[in-house]
Amino acid sequence: MAAKGRIVWVSGPAVRADGMSEAKMYETVTVGNSKLVGEVIRLTGDVAFIQVYESTSGLKPGEPVIGTGNPLSVLLGPGIIGQLYDGIQRPLRELSKASGSFIGRGITTTPVDMTKKYHFVPTTSVGDEVAGGNVLGTVQETDLIEHSIMVPPDNPGGKITNIVSEGDYDLETEIATSEKDGQTISLKMYHKWPVRKPRPYKARYDPTVPLLTGQRVIDTFFPIAKGGTGSIPGAFGTGKTVTLHQIAKWADSQVVVYIGCGERGNEMTEVLVEFPHLKDPRSGKPLMDRTVLVANTSNMPVAAREASIYTGVTIAEYYRDMGKDVVLVADSTSRWAEALREMSGRLEEMPAEEGYPSYLASRLAEFYERAGRVKAVGSPDRDGSVTLIGAVSPSGGDFTEPVTTHTMRFIKTFWALDAKLAYSRHYPSINWMNSYSGYLADIAKWWRENISEDWFSIRSEAYSILQREDTLKEIVRLLGPEALPDEEKLILEVARMIKIGLLQQNSFDDVDTFCSPEKQYKLMKLLVDFYKRGQQAIKEGTPISDIRAMSVISSLLKARMDVKDDEMPKLDQLDIEMQEQFKSITGVKVSN
Amino acid sequence: MTTEGGVQYNKIAEIKGPLVIVGDVENAAFDELVEIETNEGERRLGKVLEVGFGKAIVQVFEGTNGLSIAGTNAKFVGKVMEMPVSKEVLGRVFDGLGRPKDGLPDPIADKFVDINGEPMNPEQREYPKDFIQTGVSVIDGLMTLVRGQKLPIFSGSGMSHNLLAAQIARQASVVGTQDDFAVVFAAIGVQYSEAEYFRRSLEESGALKRSVLFLNTADDPAIERIITPRVALTVAEYLAFDLGMHVLVVMTDMTNYAEALREISAAREEVPGRKGYPGYLYTDLSTIYERAGKLNGRKGSVTQVPILSMPSDDITHPIPDLTGYITEGQIVVGRDLFRQGIYPPINILMSLSRLMKDGIGEGSTRADHAEVANQVYDAYSRAQEVRALAGIVGKAGLTEIDLKYMDVGDIFEKEFLTQATDENRTIEETLGILWKIVSKLPKNEITKIKDKFVDQYYKEE
Amino acid sequence: MLAPNSSLEQSIDKILKKTEKEILSDLENSGSDSKHTLDNSLPKLEHEYDKIISDGKKEAEKIEKQIVGSSDLDVRNKQLLLLEEGVNKVFSKALDQIANTDRSGDYSNLIKTLLDEATKILGTTEVTVFTNDKDKDVVQAALSQFSGAELASDTIDCLGGIIIKSKDGAMTFNNTIDARIERLKPLIRKSIASTFGVGN
Repeated sequence: MAAKGRIVWVSGPAVRADGMSEAKMYETVTVGNSKLVGEVIRLTGDVAFIQVYESTSGLKPGEPVIGTGNPLSVLLGPGIIGQLYDGIQRPLRELSKASGSFIGRGITTTPVDMTKKYHFVPTTSVGDEVAGGNVLGTVQETDLIEHSIMVPPDNPGGKITNIVSEGDYDLETEIATSEKDGQTISLKMYHKWPVRKPRPYKARYDPTVPLLTGQRVIDTFFPIAKGGTGSIPGAFGTGKTVTLHQIAKWADSQVVVYIGCGERGNEMTEVLVEFPHLKDPRSGKPLMDRTVLVANTSNMPVAAREASIYTGVTIAEYYRDMGKDVVLVADSTSRWAEALREMSGRLEEMPAEEGYPSYLASRLAEFYERAGRVKAVGSPDRDGSVTLIGAVSPSGGDFTEPVTTHTMRFIKTFWALDAKLAYSRHYPSINWMNSYSGYLADIAKWWRENISEDWFSIRSEAYSILQREDTLKEIVRLLGPEALPDEEKLILEVARMIKIGLLQQNSFDDVDTFCSPEKQYKLMKLLVDFYKRGQQAIKEGTPISDIRAMSVISSLLKARMDVKDDEMPKLDQLDIEMQEQFKSITGVKVSN
Repeated sequence: MTTEGGVQYNKIAEIKGPLVIVGDVENAAFDELVEIETNEGERRLGKVLEVGFGKAIVQVFEGTNGLSIAGTNAKFVGKVMEMPVSKEVLGRVFDGLGRPKDGLPDPIADKFVDINGEPMNPEQREYPKDFIQTGVSVIDGLMTLVRGQKLPIFSGSGMSHNLLAAQIARQASVVGTQDDFAVVFAAIGVQYSEAEYFRRSLEESGALKRSVLFLNTADDPAIERIITPRVALTVAEYLAFDLGMHVLVVMTDMTNYAEALREISAAREEVPGRKGYPGYLYTDLSTIYERAGKLNGRKGSVTQVPILSMPSDDITHPIPDLTGYITEGQIVVGRDLFRQGIYPPINILMSLSRLMKDGIGEGSTRADHAEVANQVYDAYSRAQEVRALAGIVGKAGLTEIDLKYMDVGDIFEKEFLTQATDENRTIEETLGILWKIVSKLPKNEITKIKDKFVDQYYKEE
Repeated sequence: MLAPNSSLEQSIDKILKKTEKEILSDLENSGSDSKHTLDNSLPKLEHEYDKIISDGKKEAEKIEKQIVGSSDLDVRNKQLLLLEEGVNKVFSKALDQIANTDRSGDYSNLIKTLLDEATKILGTTEVTVFTNDKDKDVVQAALSQFSGAELASDTIDCLGGIIIKSKDGAMTFNNTIDARIERLKPLIRKSIASTFGVGN
C-alpha cells in the first residue's frame, strides 16, 4: 500500500512530509499538487525526508505526497541509444514537446517510445529452460547496436511456454511467457531496474585489454583498460571537457554513456550537434548510433544531479550484460559530490572535510566498483565491460581537496591536467610527471602481440627522456640552457620534440584528432631513434647546433598532422630521411 | 507588481542579519514573494527561503536595518517575484530590484515573468557560433566572443575592466547583419561613478535607447544584489527570445553578488564551503550564467560578459574559480600589464574562449585564423619563458632564437595588445597584425600553421 | 709690386673662391635642407590637417549620435509620462465612481463574497472585521453568516470592502476594494494604454 502524506516543510530541493510511515527508503514519491518527482532519503518516525528532482518553487506545507511503491528505476530496452535524458531518464526531446524551450515541471513521459516497432529475432524456443539474464532474442536497435533482449536478471525464468516468431513488435508486446513453479511469467522487450542496485554478473576478469582512445598521451603513456577506472582532474580551462569528448568520440567501445552532471548546457548541445555528423573510425557509422547522453546541467535541479550518475551507470551495465564494451564518462563527479553535500547540509548531518558528508568516500567507492570486465549472467556466455571515467573539478585546481583525494583511492588511471601546460597551449594538458596508470603492465602484452615486440622498452625510453628533462629543467632555471653540456642539451631538444610531436594532439585537426596505435608506436619510435642517433653523433663530436639545424625535425613534429593513419610508409620514409641527415652532419665532421 | 493579495502575518519571531523569521505561518510557499511592512508604512520586499512547522524564513532584499519585532508585519503575496517586461523597458533605468529609477512610471507590462527563469532545455539550445566583432584585437583575434556565449572578465580592484566592457558594449557587432541588438547593464554594488561611466559611454555612442540599466550601487542594500542579475537577465531573455533581439548583458561586479549570498548563508548558519562561501555557490552562480544562450527556432540571443574582481588578484579564489567552471572561457586582466600602462591589459595565456573554435574560420573570419592564433599563443608563451630566464641568467645566456622570441613578445604587447579605447579594429586588421608578429619568427619555428597559409601570409622583412 | 700683390691677390682670390664655394655649397645645402624640410612638413601638415578633420568628424559623429539617440529617447519618455497622466486620470475617475456606488442590493452580495474569500484564506471565522464608515451597516448585516466574526469599533479609510484580522492578532487579510484594484492595476493600466493606442 502506497504512502499518503502531507508536506510539513520545504527548503530548496529538500522536503519533509508527515504521515509517511508506509514509505520505504529510496522509494520514489510524487510531491505536491504539481506532482513533482522525489525520492525518500531518510525516515524518522512518520516523517519522510525527500529530495525533489524538480524545482520546488511555490510548493507549500499541506500539499500531498504520494508514494509510488517503487525505488528510483530506469527503463531498459531498445530505444535508449541516441537519446538525451535528464538525471532521472526523462527524454529531454519529449520534455521540450510538453514545455517548449525551457524545462517545465511535473511532466511524465516514457524514457523510450513504447509504440516503436523493432524487428525481433528469437534465439530461444518453446520448451527451453531460461534463467535471469538469458537472451531471448535480438533486435537491431541502431545500425551499430544489436540489442539482446534478456530475461531480467532478477527474474526466476523457467520453461518457455510461448515465444513470438520473428517479426516486428513494439515494447509492450508480450514476446514470451515462461512457467516456473506453476506460475506464468510474462516477458517483454524491456524491464525496469533500480538505479542504486548494481546489476549482477557471473564472474569478473582482470582488465588486460587496453581501451584505445586514439589519444597518444593516454594510449601510449597512461593507458586505461577495458573495464578499468580512470579519473581526470583539472582546474577550469585545462581542457577537461575536450579530452572527455575526445574519449567519447574515439574510444574503441561499442557503447558510450556520457553523463553531463552539473556542467554546461552548451556542452551537451555540442555533443548533440556534432556526434550525428562524426563517423566512428572503425565502422564508419555516425557516432550518435552508439551514444547515450544523460544531462543534468548545472542550473537544473540539484537532486537530479545526484541521481544522474546512477541512471547512467545502470544503463551502461545493461549494455555490458549484452556482451558489449561500454565506456561511461561522468563530467563531473565533483558536481555530483556537491549535490550530496547540499542534501547532507539540508539534512543537518555532521559534515566531514569542507562540508562534504562523511559517506562521500564510500559513495565514490560504490560508484567506481561498478566498473569491470565481466561474464554476464544467463546463457549464452557473454563477456562485456564497463569502463568508468570520471572528471573531477577540484576547487582552485587543488588536488588535495576531498573529492580528488578520495577518488584517487578508487581509480587506477589518473590523468592530471595541468593549468600551466594549458596556459602555454599544450593540449591535452595531461601532466606526464603527475599522471599514472595502474594498467601498464597488464596491457603491455596486448601491445606486444598486436603492434610491436619492443613497444614496452621504447615507451620506457621515451618516458625516461621526459623524466630526465624534468630534472635538467631545474638547472636550466638557475643557470640558463647554455650552461649544459651537449649531451644534456640533446635531452632537452628531444624532450621538446616528444612534447610537440607526440604528447600534444590537436583535437580540432581532422588528421590529428585520432591516432591509430600503429601510428602512435611509429611516431614514438622515430623520436626515440632520433635521440639514439643524436647521442651517437654527439659522442663523435658533432655539435648540438648541427643537430638542431636538421630540417627533418620540423617534418617529425608535423608528422602527427601530415601523415594519415593509412599512410604509414610516409613515416618509414621520414626514418630514412633522418638517417641520411644524421649521416651528412657526422660525415662533415669526419672530413674536417 | 508590488502589491498583491495575500495574508499578512503580524507575528515576527526573530530578526537576524538579512533574515526575518515569521511565526504562526499557515499558508506560505517556498520562494514566495513577501512584503515586509513597518508600522510607519515603509515597505520592503523579501522572499521565502524555508517554510514549515509554522515558521517561514524570509530574506529581506533591502536589509533588516530599522525593523522591530513589534512594529513589523509580513504579507505573503501568493506568487514568486516577477518583473514586468515590454519593449518600453529599452532606454530605461531601474534600481536593483527592477523598479524605475529614472522618474518615469512603471513600464506597462506586456507580461510578468518569474525572475528566476527556467532552465533551458539543452536539447533546445542552438550551439553558439556567430562571431561577434568587438573591434578589440586581443579578443577578436585570440579569445573570440560569439553570440550566446558567457565570457567573463576576471579583473582586480582598480584595473581597467570597466573601460574594456564599455568598449565591447559600444563596438560589438556581427559583421554583415542588420539584426536588432540591445545592451542590458546590471551594476551590482559598484560605485556610482562606475555605473555612470557606463551609462555615459552608452549615451555617447547613441546606444542608450537600445539599453536597459539596472543599478544597485555601493550604497544600495547589499541583499538586493541577489536580485539584480536576475531581473536584468529576465529582461534580457524577453528582449532576446520574445522580441528576437541580440542582447549583450554586462554584469559588474559578480564578487559583490557572491558576498551577498555569503551573508545570507552565514545568517542561516549553514555549513560553509571554501572561504565561508556556501557550498551551493556553484549551483547558484550557474542559475545566472546558464541563462546565456541561443534557442532553436528563435531569432535572438543572450550573450553575457560578467565582470568580477578577484580578491587579491587570486584566480583560485572560489568566486573566479567556480565562475570559470561554468562560463565558456575567461578574459583575465593582468596586473603587470596594467602597471606598465598597457590597455587593454589582457593576460592572454590565462585567457581563453571555449567557443572560439566554432565562431572563426572560413565563412566567418578567415581560414587561417585558428592556426595563426595558435602560433601567436605559442610564441608569446615562449617569450614569457625567455623573459623569465633572461631575468636570471641575463641576455648573454640566451640563444639567438630566444632573443627573437623576446622581440616577438615586445611587438605583441606594443602593436597588437595595445589599442585606444575608441579604436575599433576590423578582423582583417587584427589578423594582419597577428601575421606581422608571426613573420618575425624564422619559418622553421612555425609548427602550428599549414604551409599553404604560411606561403600566403608570411612576410619576411 | 705686382708680384707680391698678385700673390696676395691670388691668395685672397683663392680664399674668396674657397669661401664662395663653401658658401655656395652651404647655401645649396641649406636650400636643399629647407626644401627637404618643406617637402617633409607638407605631408606632415596634410596629415595633421587630416587628423584634425577626422578627429573633428569623429567627435561630430559622436555628438550627432548622442543627440539623435537622446532626443529619440526624450520624445519616447515624454510619451510615457503623458500616457501615465492619461491612465491616472481614467483611474481616479473610476475610483470616484466606485466610492459613490449605491450600497444596496448587489453591493451587500459583494461584501459577503469578500468576507467569505477572506475568512477562507485565513482559515478561520474567528476574526475582527474592519471597514469604512459608509459600509459599516452592510458589513454588520453580512456578519451573521460568519460565526465568531465581529465588527471592530474603529473604522478604516478606504473606498469600500473589508480588512479582517484573526482574533489572536497573528494574521491579517486585506480585502478592501482599494487593495483589489491595486492588485489589478498593472492589467488595468495595460488595457487603458491599449485604448490610447500604445503598447500591445
